[in-house]
Amino acid sequence: MTLDSLLAVSAALFALGTVMFLSRKNSIAILMGIELIMNAAALNFVAFGYYSPSRHNLLDGQVFALFIIMVAVAEAVVALGIAIAVYKEYNHVQADRLNQLEG
Amino acid sequence: MVQSIFYGLFVLLTLGTALYVALGQNLIRAAFALFFSLTGIAGLYVLLGGDFIAMIQLMVYAGGIAVLLTFGAMLTHDVEDPNDSNPLFNGFLSFVSGIGFFSLIFYVLTETTWPQKSTQFIEPTTNTIGKLLLTDYLLPFEVISFLLLIAMVGAVYFVEKGDRT
Repeated sequence: MTLDSLLAVSAALFALGTVMFLSRKNSIAILMGIELIMNAAALNFVAFGYYSPSRHNLLDGQVFALFIIMVAVAEAVVALGIAIAVYKEYNHVQADRLNQLEG
Repeated sequence: MVQSIFYGLFVLLTLGTALYVALGQNLIRAAFALFFSLTGIAGLYVLLGGDFIAMIQLMVYAGGIAVLLTFGAMLTHDVEDPNDSNPLFNGFLSFVSGIGFFSLIFYVLTETTWPQKSTQFIEPTTNTIGKLLLTDYLLPFEVISFLLLIAMVGAVYFVEKGDRT
């Protein structure tokens, strides 16, 4: 368990989330990609906090990861609410077919 | 030694299920795979000395967001046709660009020398995190709580609005 291997795991998660974000049509799947990306960022914060040479405030990275998790919760709830509202209006959530404003 | 075994196990769990989330065709199965991926990340947090953050990850992410996404998938997509609900378009192109993106980041992080400390120690973190949240990070803490309230009201408003039209 080294810092480099942890950063590689985080980069792999970020790349997978980006691929999912770019290649999916379903809005729920795009949301899952965003969750993977946010987890990669939080994992980076905790890993850097664990290996940081600083002597004081050892837990700043974990506090930041906590804030990332809370922001992700708010984002997921609102985005799922929007997805359900869109589904009630159009009967689908395919992102490439949602191209109307004031439809 | 034991730490290395568990580290490999959690990395395998995280990346294997994340690979299924990114490339699988069935949306419901992807949601369940996402649950296991988030659980693996909680295990990595335990290995990194974050007991409190691992519990929060398990409760909020694996227990909350993954279940919420499963509900969202069941409520919005065509349940009769689960294989056609989540098509991967430009699959080869996005796969190649993802590999390229990962190689770029990997090259940068292996070429950089990060400052590291030599000895790591693990002790309970909940006490210190609580003190940090109420002293150094008091303003972000209050802002986040207000944001959560607004998000809850906004979500209810959006779902109601879709119903009324």
